Amino acid sequence: MRDAYLVGAGQSDYGAFPAESYRSLFRTAFDAATDSVPKGLEAGDVDEAFVGTLGVGGRQLGLSGPAVTEHVGLDGVPTTRVENACAASGFAVRQAVQAVKSGMADVVLAGGFEIMSDMSSDATKYWLGVSGETEWERLSGTTFSGVYAQMASVHMAQYGTTREHLSRVAVKNHANGAKNPHAQLGFECSLEDAQSAPVVADPLNLYHCCPTSDGAACALIVSEDVVDDYTDDPIRVAGVGAGSDTVGLFQRDTYTGVPASQRAAETAYEMADIEPDALDFAEVHDCFAIAELLAYEDLGFCEPGEAGQLIESGATELGGELPVNTSGGLKSKGHPIGATGAGQVVEAYKQLSGNAGARQVETPTRGLTHNVGGSGGAAVVHVFEKEGEVSA
Amino acid sequence: MAAITGVGAYAPRFRITSEAFEDAWGQFHAAGVTQKAVPSADEDALTMGYEAATRALEAAETDPDEIDWLAFASSRPPTAEEDLTARLGAMVTLSESATRHAFTGSTRAGTRALWAALDALEADSTTALVVAADAPQGDPDDGIDHAAGAGSAAFVLEREGPAEIVDRAEYSAPYPGTRFRNAGEDETQGLGITQYDRRAFTETIGGAVAGLEDEPTPDAVAIQAPDGKLPYRAAGAAGVGTEEIRAAATVHELGDLGAASVPVSLATALADGYESILAVSHGSGAGADAVVVSVASETRQSDGDVPAVTALEGDDPLTYAEYLRQRGIVTTGPPSGGGAYVSVPSWRRSIPQRYRLEAGRCSECDALSFPPDGACDDCGALADYEPIELAGEGTIEAVTTISQGGAPPEFAEQQAQSGDYAAAIVALETDGASETHRKDGDHAERNSADRSSGQRQREEGVDSGDETVSVPAMGTDADPADFSVGERIETTIRRIYTQEGVTRYGFKIRPAGE
Repeated sequence: MRDAYLVGAGQSDYGAFPAESYRSLFRTAFDAATDSVPKGLEAGDVDEAFVGTLGVGGRQLGLSGPAVTEHVGLDGVPTTRVENACAASGFAVRQAVQAVKSGMADVVLAGGFEIMSDMSSDATKYWLGVSGETEWERLSGTTFSGVYAQMASVHMAQYGTTREHLSRVAVKNHANGAKNPHAQLGFECSLEDAQSAPVVADPLNLYHCCPTSDGAACALIVSEDVVDDYTDDPIRVAGVGAGSDTVGLFQRDTYTGVPASQRAAETAYEMADIEPDALDFAEVHDCFAIAELLAYEDLGFCEPGEAGQLIESGATELGGELPVNTSGGLKSKGHPIGATGAGQVVEAYKQLSGNAGARQVETPTRGLTHNVGGSGGAAVVHVFEKEGEVSA
Repeated sequence: MAAITGVGAYAPRFRITSEAFEDAWGQFHAAGVTQKAVPSADEDALTMGYEAATRALEAAETDPDEIDWLAFASSRPPTAEEDLTARLGAMVTLSESATRHAFTGSTRAGTRALWAALDALEADSTTALVVAADAPQGDPDDGIDHAAGAGSAAFVLEREGPAEIVDRAEYSAPYPGTRFRNAGEDETQGLGITQYDRRAFTETIGGAVAGLEDEPTPDAVAIQAPDGKLPYRAAGAAGVGTEEIRAAATVHELGDLGAASVPVSLATALADGYESILAVSHGSGAGADAVVVSVASETRQSDGDVPAVTALEGDDPLTYAEYLRQRGIVTTGPPSGGGAYVSVPSWRRSIPQRYRLEAGRCSECDALSFPPDGACDDCGALADYEPIELAGEGTIEAVTTISQGGAPPEFAEQQAQSGDYAAAIVALETDGASETHRKDGDHAERNSADRSSGQRQREEGVDSGDETVSVPAMGTDADPADFSVGERIETTIRRIYTQEGVTRYGFKIRPAGE
C-alpha cells in the first residue's frame, strides 16, 4: 500500500463565537490548513473530502459534509460526512488515509466542525447525551460526565487514584493551553482552583470537564506520489488504528479502561512498528480528567493502575519525558465535538513542523493523536512521523 | 365472608413537621397532625401502590400467579384517564387474565375496593389483591394541603384466613361541597363550612356503623382521617371510644392519606395484633363504608397472627422550602431543550426489563445479558436468550453523584425537586445467587475490584451462585452519598421520566434492607 503524508493542517480558534457560522469557521480552518502547506495547496488539488460533525442543534443533519465543502470551493469533490460522536473527525482523518493508501485519491481533505454555544445549556446537553447509550445508560440519569465519573469511581476504588490526580490533569492542560492562541480556556489554573470547583458528577468537578465549544479544524493528507509537490519535510502517517465497542459502559468487561482505545493503539503501534516509548508527544482525548488518565494506561504510557503516579511525576508535562496535550487538550483548548479529532492532528502537525510556538516540544520526531467517541464506543489513534529523520 | 391473608403498607421516607409549616405560614391548618409523610419527586400513587402490593404478597407468601382479582384505589391516580391496573398488575407480575378494577373519585375508594373484593370472593374469585395508595394535594395555603400526607396499603384476601371480615355496611346521603376536585383541576378543595362538613362526616359514618348486623366492640378503629381531630369527633356517632381510634391512627405521623387513610390504619392495626377491628371510611359526596375484621382466635386457627410487612417509618426531615420543591410546587417543569427520545413503543418493548428485571441466558455460552437483545455480551453469538428474572438484589460496581448541571435535561425537573442523585452500574444477581452472596461477605469487593475474575466465575459455573449481570440504574430512597462501590442494593420501581405526557416507570436502586 502507498504511504500517506500529512502536509498541512489548521484550525479556527475554539470558543464561543456568536458572529460565526459553522461554514465560516470551517472556512477559517480550511484556509489555515492550505496556508500551512510549505509549497502551497489549492482547493482544486483536492480529490476527496471527509468531514466529521455530530450535528449539534440539528442545524444541518443531512448533507452536512457538502454544506461546508461547497462553501470553501470544493465544488464537485466527493464529500462524505463521518459521524462517530466526539471521534467524528479522528475517523475522518482515518478515512482520508485509507483513501490515499488505497490509491483512489492523491489529495484528501479531512476536517470537522461543530457549533455548540448558540443554544440553551439544556439543548446542548440533549445533543451531547444522545451519543451515549440512550435507553438504559442515559435514562439511569447520566450524561457523559456521569459515565466518566462512574469509571473514575472504580479506578479510585481499585487503584487508589485520587481527586488530586484528576486535578493535576486540569492544571497541566491549562498550563499548556495558556501557550496556545487558539485555546478557548487559555488561562493557567492552580491545583487549588482545580480542587475546589463545583462538583458536576462526583468525583468530577467543573475543572475535570472540558467546555462546550465552537470550532473547526482541517488536515490535508496526500499520497507518496505527490508529497514532493507540497513539502520537502514530509510527515508520514506511520500508524493508524481504530476500534469500537458497546456504546453503554455497563455492557463492557472493564470500567477502568477503554478497550476500543487499546485496540486502536495496538493496531497503530504495530503499523508504525514502534513501542509507546518511541513517542515524543501525544494528544489524547481528555474530555474529562479521568479520560486522560485512562488514556495513559490504554495507550501503554504506563501500566494499568499507574496513571495517577504518571501525572504526579510530571512526565507528561511540557518538558517532561512524554508531553501530553501540549495544545491544552480538550480541557483547555476546547472540544467542538466534530472538530476535535482533526484539531489534535493540527497540534501534531504544528509540533512536527516546529511551529508550536511557546509550547514547542524540542525537536520531536514522532507524535500520537488519540480520539474517543462517547465513553469508548469508538476510538481512533494515529502516529505521525517526520520521515527524513527516521530513515537517517 | 372472606379473610385477609397478607398485609403490606408503605410510606415515603420524607417527613415535614407542623412546626415547619408554622415557621413558613405563621400557622398550621391541620389540627392534630404533628408531622406527615411527603412523597419524593419520583413517587406517585402507582409507585406507592407497588411498594405496598409487593409487601402484601411477600407477607401472604402468595405467588402473584395465584391472584385472580386486582383493585387499585386512589383519589389522585397519576392519570385521570387510562387504567393503571394494567401497569400495576405487570409490575407485580400478575396474570394478564386477572380481573382488574380501578377505584377513584373519593377518599372512600380504598374501602370500595375492599368491598368489591369481598363481592368477588363470594362469587368466582379465589385470591384478591386490594391496593390503596394516595397523596392528596390542595392549594398551599389550604388546610387540605397542610394535612396532605402520603402512603399506601395492600391486602391479599382469600375465602378463608386469619383475619376474617365478618360484617359490612354502607351509608350515603347527599352533602355536596365538603371536599371536591372538578374535572381538569389539580388541587382538591372544600368550602370549609365547619358544622356542615362535620355533619356530613358523622352522619355517614354513624349511618354505616348503624347498618352493621351486630353492634361492633372493636379494640381498634381505623377511621377516615382528613386531619388529626375529625376522627375523634366521630367517636360518638360510630359508638366507639377515642382510645380505640388512637390505637389505629396514622394521621398524626403520616397526615391525611386520602383513599389510603382507612386501609393504612387497618394495616397497622392488623400488624400490631389487634383482634377486633372496625374500619370506617368516609368519602365526600357523601358516603361511608363500615367493615368489621375479626382475627381468628387460636382455637380457630393454629396461628392467629396476620402476616404483615410494613414500611411506614421515615426520618428524613424536610424544610418547608424543600417540601415545596419536592412536590414540584415551585419548580417550572421540564426544560424546553428537549430530552432523550425513547418512543413509547420502544419503552413498552423494555417493560419486562423495567418492571421484572428480565435478563437473558445465552443459549450458546450460558452467560447472562441485559437487556437480552442482540449479540451476547460475553461470547458475541447471535443466539437466542432464555428469559431469566433477576432477584432485585446486587452490588454497586461503579457510581457517581450527579450534581446540579450534570443531569440530562429529562431529569432536570426531578433534580430541581429532589436534588442530587446517585447514578450507578450494579451487578444484579439471579434468584439463586442472592443467598450465597449474603454469606460471602467479601465477594462484593472482589467483584467490583476485578471484573475479569467475576467474569470467570460466571463462565466456570452457572449454578455457582455467583452469577451477576451489570445494569445501569438511578439511586432513590436515600442520600446519594449512601451509594458507593461495593455496597449492597435492592431494586424498586419508580417514575423514571415523563415525555409527551406519558410517565415511564421502571426500576431504580436503593441501599439494601431499607
